[in-house]
Amino acid sequence: MDSLQHLASGFAVALTPINLMWCLIGCTLGTAIGVLPGLGPALTIALLLPITFKVEPTAAFILFAGIYYGAMYGGSTTSILLNTPGESATIVTALEGNKMARGGRAGAALATSAIGSFVAGTIGTLGIAFVAPVVVDIALKFGPADYFSLMILAFVTVSAVLGSSAVRGLSALFFGIWLGLIGVDLQTGQARFTFGLQELLDGVNVIVVAVGLFAVGETLYMASRRLSGGDEIIPLRGSLWMTKEEWSRSWKPWLRGTALGFPIGAMPAGGAEIPTFLSYFIEKKFSKKPEEFGHGAIEGVAGPEAANNASAAGVLVPMLTLGLPTSATAAIMLSAFQSYGINPGPMLLTTQPQLVWGLIASLLIGNVMLLALNLPMIAIWVKMLQIPAPILYAGILVFATIGTYGISQSPIDLILLYLIGAVGYLMRRYDFPTAPVIIGMILGPLAEQNFRQAMTISAGDWTVFFTRPLSASILLLAFIAVAGPKLYELAKARKSDPALAKS
Amino acid sequence: MLETNVPAHPSRMGGAARGEIALALGMLCLSSVVLWQTLEIPVSPIYARVGPTIIPMITACGLGALSLLLLVSAVRGGWQTDEEKEYTPDRVALSWLVVGMLANILLIEPAGFTVASVIMFTLAARAFGSLRIARDAAIGFAFSLSAYIGFARALGINIGAGPLERGLESLFKLI
Amino acid sequence: MITKRDLLAGAAAVGAAASFGFQGAQAQTVDLLKIFVPAAPGGGWDQTARMIENAMRGAKLIGGAQITNVPGAGGAVGLPQFINQWKGQGNSLMVAGMVMVGSLIANKSALSLAQVTPIARLTGEFQAIVVPADSPFKTIKDFADALKADPTKVPVAGGSAGGSDHILLGMIAKAVGVPAPKVSYVAFSGGGPATAALLGSQVAAGISGYGEFGEQIKAGKLRALAISADKRQTGIDVPTLKESGIDVELFNWRGVFAPPGVSDEQRKAMTDIVQKMAASTEWADICKKQDWTQITLVGDDYAKYIASETTRIGAILKDLGLA
Repeated sequence: MDSLQHLASGFAVALTPINLMWCLIGCTLGTAIGVLPGLGPALTIALLLPITFKVEPTAAFILFAGIYYGAMYGGSTTSILLNTPGESATIVTALEGNKMARGGRAGAALATSAIGSFVAGTIGTLGIAFVAPVVVDIALKFGPADYFSLMILAFVTVSAVLGSSAVRGLSALFFGIWLGLIGVDLQTGQARFTFGLQELLDGVNVIVVAVGLFAVGETLYMASRRLSGGDEIIPLRGSLWMTKEEWSRSWKPWLRGTALGFPIGAMPAGGAEIPTFLSYFIEKKFSKKPEEFGHGAIEGVAGPEAANNASAAGVLVPMLTLGLPTSATAAIMLSAFQSYGINPGPMLLTTQPQLVWGLIASLLIGNVMLLALNLPMIAIWVKMLQIPAPILYAGILVFATIGTYGISQSPIDLILLYLIGAVGYLMRRYDFPTAPVIIGMILGPLAEQNFRQAMTISAGDWTVFFTRPLSASILLLAFIAVAGPKLYELAKARKSDPALAKS
Repeated sequence: MLETNVPAHPSRMGGAARGEIALALGMLCLSSVVLWQTLEIPVSPIYARVGPTIIPMITACGLGALSLLLLVSAVRGGWQTDEEKEYTPDRVALSWLVVGMLANILLIEPAGFTVASVIMFTLAARAFGSLRIARDAAIGFAFSLSAYIGFARALGINIGAGPLERGLESLFKLI
Repeated sequence: MITKRDLLAGAAAVGAAASFGFQGAQAQTVDLLKIFVPAAPGGGWDQTARMIENAMRGAKLIGGAQITNVPGAGGAVGLPQFINQWKGQGNSLMVAGMVMVGSLIANKSALSLAQVTPIARLTGEFQAIVVPADSPFKTIKDFADALKADPTKVPVAGGSAGGSDHILLGMIAKAVGVPAPKVSYVAFSGGGPATAALLGSQVAAGISGYGEFGEQIKAGKLRALAISADKRQTGIDVPTLKESGIDVELFNWRGVFAPPGVSDEQRKAMTDIVQKMAASTEWADICKKQDWTQITLVGDDYAKYIASETTRIGAILKDLGLA
């Protein structure tokens, strides 16, 4: 096959000692910035752009590829250990991952996330190599109406994190939607809910909210209950690595997460967060132990982690096949192409095969490197949980500040972080789930914008959501996801003994 | 606010739960602020089938309706778990933390990232019962200074330089 | 060619500046140039700043540069900081451009670019109106006719509302006699998503910087109807709006400013350095790679240009109901 030959030549490019070194530097740096909340791969690559004046293109892209994948690995580490998500795509990981870590299974959570990331990253990268043109054709068929339906489907996943009360869960969801609406409206340029503060015109950063709710809120809560000592962290229970049961509970979520993440990542407005939500929802539905969800279910780490890495690979599909940047990181990588005088576009693959295939090969190599870097690190990371509470929580607080203040240098963001932290504390004390806030904040504005784009394009015709085949089928899926289980139960109840004595 | 008489249990008033009522009322306030701010959104004459106020309006109404439901449930006795109900939060520890955060907000611009972080770190450690102030400050200093230098050197981002950071920079330059 | 003498001179200048501090107008080179970017790393202004640093270093005009990013609201968050905290600092520059003019007006900011010291306009990017390859619109006239017939049937994709793409569409609409607010504008979060919508034929047409579409046009996936430049561009076989009978010209320009309160000598010294950079081969090379059109304009002409742009953009934003 042609692609195989190209891939082999790509490996020839990537496997030189100097390029391997760049790959290693990239992976290490990527992991480090992934760990820091707020500092993402886009910003890091932007800051490293001047390097394009000093090194040859292949080396620079291999470095960038390492940073890109590395950040996805690093982001989950702090989610799991400190409940402080480093990237918005790893927020879902914190839900089950941190619960696992507190229960002494940090090692297993980190391992399933690293291996899941590896599996998804590898399959995703192979997907770039072999099926990219097909995937991108389908992805471009998605218009705003179809995206809106996809968001509706993703909203269904809220039901998996509502907690013990629908009213409280929905309150959290609406609070999140409101937070997401703050800022200048994309469609009409009007400021909404900015209270006259210029700093709020660009909206509230979802990482600030996630870190505030999870990390700062948690710190306040733990301090308030310091004397009871009821919720202590168990650094390690059982084996450091994954047990046989944990393996068998992980591999299917890895594959399902990959299957969700890659295509959605390849869609121009898909993003990395939506597949993690969907994956979490599906894993909870499919799990043999759904009752463990919310208390540290390994499927809830394995699935979303695979989904976010697969979507990271998916994002590269439109970038490499069409020269279309659909995420901030892709946009910056494309501008790096430009500083070499390479114009990324639909011809990129034909005009620069060496570069593109070298990049794909180094993504594969980077994945192996990241796995090799991350697995031995687990033993060290787990030790972090043995740090005495005063230092650990004080450290988390400073850490949250670095991410928030370091990027914007605006005290307003710090005030916001701590205020959201206080909200997080109250939510914890009064048994409100916090995850719906994040889901609402990410999906709310996306759904709104796509809805309005669709309505403008259709000149106000509401039926567009049902007449477009893609949109209609996604809505049908959403309907099945909501009503399906109930209908199924109803049908089963009718079939079996109508007396229903054993329930 | 609602304290008409002193209840037998500190957080109980008849069948109603004080904390929950306050929370529900707080959310009701928020929803009215959202509603008020939604009405303040200027609607430009730009052609758009769905304007910028529809989703905010739905959000305001949703929040309002949910807060009323919460209020009903609070008046009927609340929903807090027994375990949380029994527990009185450690106000002293919370105060240490709040002071630490306030200090950080106030100091980070004039005093720089490192100094502000060390103070917050030490106060936060104190909140969790640590009495070894010098040790905590030293750990906090090492942690935040290395973060500062890491950002400044590796990525060229300045995460809030104060007199200390500037002093160190010029010291580096002299050597 | 770098001669030994150049190196020595450079080293001496750097050394002198380091030991006595910045000497303002006396030194031909600046030891440390501070560049203020009122946007996040990676965007157009940030890249301009980083390229300025590169060209100036290459041309030995500066010892080094320090870039500060204060992102937010098209520069409306950064500008107050530059005006208040960078006042009188003769060794600093802010990168800004047309987008900031629009953003300050749309966000009803009390500040304007008149409050900083104009140094030079450097580059510009003209915009293109494109359609999917299978679109019935063959020329800009077809597009204009359809717009006149029923603007709601012609959804046009571009960047955020009130941005340069929207402004251009408003100007075109006005020029062909369609009320600007009637036009059906679909805002996307950037050039990438907007291009994706065009490639998937989700919208009738799109507007963005030419560079955003250039490769797609070359590959035959999109068709350019017109560009907003003042004259035909070499290597681009697309008519301008003006020669198609639509009297509209728009450059998404970028330039540099010194803070308020700098002395006339400092201003002159900085203008000299920027002018030298703009004339350097390094800069020409960078502009070629980045697809930036060089439209250097300095001194009072630049100040006048900014004033007229502010009036022009203010008027169109008012028409669009955004100011």
